Amino acid sequence: MTANQLSTHGLDLRYGDRLIVGGLDLVLPGGAVTAVVGPNACGKSTLLRGLTRLLAPAAGTVALDGADIHRMPARALALRMGLLPQQPVTPDAITVEALVRLGRYPHQRLLSPWSAADQQAVEEALRRTGTRELRDQPVDQLSGGQRQRAWIALALAQDTDLLLLDEPTTFLDLRHQLDVLDLVAALHAEADRTVVMVLHDLGQAARYADHLVVLKDGRLAAAGAPADVLDAELVKSVFDVDCRVIPDPETGTPLVVPKSSAKRHTAVTV
Amino acid sequence: MNGFVRSAAPHGDPAVDAGRRTRRGAARGRTALTAVVGLVVLCALVTVSVANGDMALPPADAVKGLFGLGDSATVLVVQEFRAPRMVAAIVAGAGLAVAGALLQRLFRNPLASPDVMGVTGGASFGAVAMLAAGASQALMPLAALGGGLLAAVLLGVFGWRGGVSVTRLVLVGLAVQAGLSAAVSFMVVSFPTELAGSALQWTTGSVYGRTWPEVWSAGGAVALGLLVAFALHRRLAVLDLGDDSAGALGLRTSAARLQVLVIAIVLASLAAALTGPVAFVALAVPHMVRFLAGPPTAGTLALSGLAGAVLLLASDLVAQYLLPVGGLPVGVVTATLGAPWLLVLMIRQSSSVNRSAR
Repeated sequence: MTANQLSTHGLDLRYGDRLIVGGLDLVLPGGAVTAVVGPNACGKSTLLRGLTRLLAPAAGTVALDGADIHRMPARALALRMGLLPQQPVTPDAITVEALVRLGRYPHQRLLSPWSAADQQAVEEALRRTGTRELRDQPVDQLSGGQRQRAWIALALAQDTDLLLLDEPTTFLDLRHQLDVLDLVAALHAEADRTVVMVLHDLGQAARYADHLVVLKDGRLAAAGAPADVLDAELVKSVFDVDCRVIPDPETGTPLVVPKSSAKRHTAVTV
Repeated sequence: MNGFVRSAAPHGDPAVDAGRRTRRGAARGRTALTAVVGLVVLCALVTVSVANGDMALPPADAVKGLFGLGDSATVLVVQEFRAPRMVAAIVAGAGLAVAGALLQRLFRNPLASPDVMGVTGGASFGAVAMLAAGASQALMPLAALGGGLLAAVLLGVFGWRGGVSVTRLVLVGLAVQAGLSAAVSFMVVSFPTELAGSALQWTTGSVYGRTWPEVWSAGGAVALGLLVAFALHRRLAVLDLGDDSAGALGLRTSAARLQVLVIAIVLASLAAALTGPVAFVALAVPHMVRFLAGPPTAGTLALSGLAGAVLLLASDLVAQYLLPVGGLPVGVVTATLGAPWLLVLMIRQSSSVNRSAR
């Protein structure tokens, strides 16, 4: 499957003089869930901004099905690709429904009225994320898990084939983390959406992703199916953690079990 | 609106839908109620405005005269002498208030407004410079626009330091406003014969002695600007989501910001072309509307225009008839109200900054 495939070629991303991501050649398979993992400050979020053209590349290209995204009209790209930023800004006193309605922006022309199709997409997004009962509540008064679902609903109302999520589980407790990840998995499964998400938990990444992209210091450390790439050697070299990688007793996917601190310590000094 | 409810029905859980309609209805109802009250008050003020003057008219006759009915003397007095002033106050009030609402939302700061940021001072400067150069009245809106943009450029040059700090912007804006107002005063004093009559207008803001040609040229442009502002509202709502989300929704954020900024400057400058730098309206009206009708929507943007018209017209009537010294320029009243208001906002803002710093 090549449709909805993002790829980068020789991608350099910079903030001012600082090179954050360097020389990245990536293919993010279409119709699959890709997890981007790596230590703090390795350029994960920056990569996501580059993939959505919020950040222009200093060198190299980002292509969607072969077409350079920086040559596409902003609106045309927004019809194909949605993004949930890591810490989105919630407008003052906005209700859940008003927030989700903004997801229809790329579908609307300057003076076109709100259409039945717009409303249907909003209803579907609210239903899919279980936020229908919250629709009239101010977003800034919701719990962390509810708020995250409201923001995912906005991205869903945008009705795109690609969905990019920057650390969608951060600041959520375990139950809400799993709710969000299950939702993402269902969104992928029901419409073959391409999902790219930045995650911190390697076990969760291995469970929920078909494809893993491991970054270290802005460079590609490994990419491929979790079972193929995630091993003790990789975790040691990327995260500097001695661990055992065992099959997840529930799913059989790789599970990273750090060694106890005494052994870890020994291993580091030896 | 019925279309929404019907298309929503297939998913509908009746209890939820009913609750939604009432709550959403409540928010809309508040906006609608405020609008109705505002319109009634505006009509009352219009009546008072056309009925009073050197010669008091019975209100019913005055209103008839406004529509060209009644004896020719009444029609002349109302249509030619009183109506232009009244319409000027309405147009300028609406333009200033909507400009203020746009800027406060764009900068996410309650202090942002065209008078605090120097735009109305710049517009007056442009107008007076043109008058001093002997240009015709018809060019006033253009001259004011040029002056307003000049103030914005000064603001950009001195206020931009690799990014926008709103505090810096407000401080630089106050300096720009003060500097340009001083230049206006200097010109007004230096050219007494041409400008003596309009000194009050350009230094404090006044609607005295407006004529139809001025009202039509500036008023038509303000009306056009208001339409553009409403067309841009959807972009403004998306901008509220922050640059990343707005960008991912396909909005070119820098361009959208610039569009909103320019339309706000245009509205404020055109209003100032008509009345001079009337203070307070642009700053205070968005706060009042928020208090009355809730958080910003396209509806409250329209309400801001209505409330601005009401406030400026009411202030003008107060200045003319209710103060012990009659015939004061409207800017005196609004500035008297505005100074303490600005102070309260600044104190509130600095205390919230202190809290968050702690």
